[in-house]
Amino acid sequence: MAFVKTQKTKAYFKRYQVKFKRRRQGKTDYRARIRLINQDKNKYNTPKYRFVVRFTNKDIVAQIISATIAGDIVMASAYAHELPRYGLEVGLTNYAAAYCTGLLLARRVLKKLEMDGEYEGQVEATGEDYQVEPSETRRPFRALLDVGLIRTTTGNRVFGALKGALDGGLDIPHSDKRFAGFSKDGKQLEAEVHRKYIFGGHVANYMRQVEEDEPEKYQTHFSEYIKKGIDADSMEALYKKVHAAIRAEPSPVKSTKQPPKEHKRYNLKKLTYEERRAKLLERLNALNSSGGADDDDDDE
Amino acid sequence: MPAGHGLRSRTRDSFSRPFRKKGYIALTTYLRTYKIGDYVDVKVNGAVHKGMPHKFYHGRTGGVWNVTKRAIGVEINKQVGNRIIRKRIHVRVEHVMPSRCNEEFKLRKKKNDELKAAAKARGEIISTKRQPEGPKPGFMVEGASVPPWRLLLPSLAML
Repeated sequence: MAFVKTQKTKAYFKRYQVKFKRRRQGKTDYRARIRLINQDKNKYNTPKYRFVVRFTNKDIVAQIISATIAGDIVMASAYAHELPRYGLEVGLTNYAAAYCTGLLLARRVLKKLEMDGEYEGQVEATGEDYQVEPSETRRPFRALLDVGLIRTTTGNRVFGALKGALDGGLDIPHSDKRFAGFSKDGKQLEAEVHRKYIFGGHVANYMRQVEEDEPEKYQTHFSEYIKKGIDADSMEALYKKVHAAIRAEPSPVKSTKQPPKEHKRYNLKKLTYEERRAKLLERLNALNSSGGADDDDDDE
Repeated sequence: MPAGHGLRSRTRDSFSRPFRKKGYIALTTYLRTYKIGDYVDVKVNGAVHKGMPHKFYHGRTGGVWNVTKRAIGVEINKQVGNRIIRKRIHVRVEHVMPSRCNEEFKLRKKKNDELKAAAKARGEIISTKRQPEGPKPGFMVEGASVPPWRLLLPSLAML
């Protein structure tokens, strides 16, 4: 073996300072988190709620979370995989689905706090910037958008979820600069374009284009859509129905599955000293017997 | 050039962050709440430059007299000449930790209240005063062996 100069000496490890665990895992942006969680000291224990939106490859997570020293507490959550309950079964991670998830979360929270009668939000999604008006009796539910680690570009799906929550009736400070349909040249939000995105218009356009140009690709790419009988023209009506269904019944459904009695083990169980020694002896014996019976070493 | 006496002079070590604890501050410092009357320790966090107290107050303990948006008013005693002045400073929460100086007192208070309530229910009067540790009782020394040469000492001649 050639002599390679060690890069990471013992001194390196001794002096190395590990980052916070969630930073090592690449999940939490602490700079943003500090600023989101910090509550005025003269407001004492009043919780500061974050409207957290995260995207996985196949799902959308929207939650309302408040922070405590013991850990964050989730007040309400909505997932894109709940949307089949309201009639949306395909395209669960697009802009329109994000809008639906945000809307679902907003209605859920308001229903939980019994404010859903007061704060209807914007029932007809028009795509233009809407801010909740405070009613006489109670102030609207305020949360701060927490995007996590995504790059906040114009038209990002996070802002679709934000729009859904706003139209649902939550008070989230925002600007319309990052909504889909904001034109940099005109420096204003084109409500029509935004509305198109909310109702999946961009997906519908692509469907039409692909259907015309490459029918085989259309069959493979949109196979689930075809199976459910959704085509480019019926998208808007579908989403309208989903919005209405969400507003009608936002409460979450508790799953009836029982948690498994025995917790499933995901990592190997640590062997005891005797077990490890026994294994080693076995290995050594096997080696020695196969390689010729010169020295039977029974020692480790 | 002589050494200056600026605000942060001689703080090279006391204001520096401890070994392998540099960088972002853990979130609990921001989540703690302080009420007027609580006792707090002032411990400067060199990573945060705003709202730092003067180096004199590093390591002092005082009571909270004011709570503002991001800072806390702490009342600390400072000896100036022949008297002690109660100084009121405002410090950002990153430079403050809740003090455990009266933790034992608070626990004792709670326990005493419970004992008194229980005694009242029973109808007897108890004293919850702390008693100082008395002299230790006498005891026999077991199994101690004395080397023979020490027996020659007059004090141990009786053994």
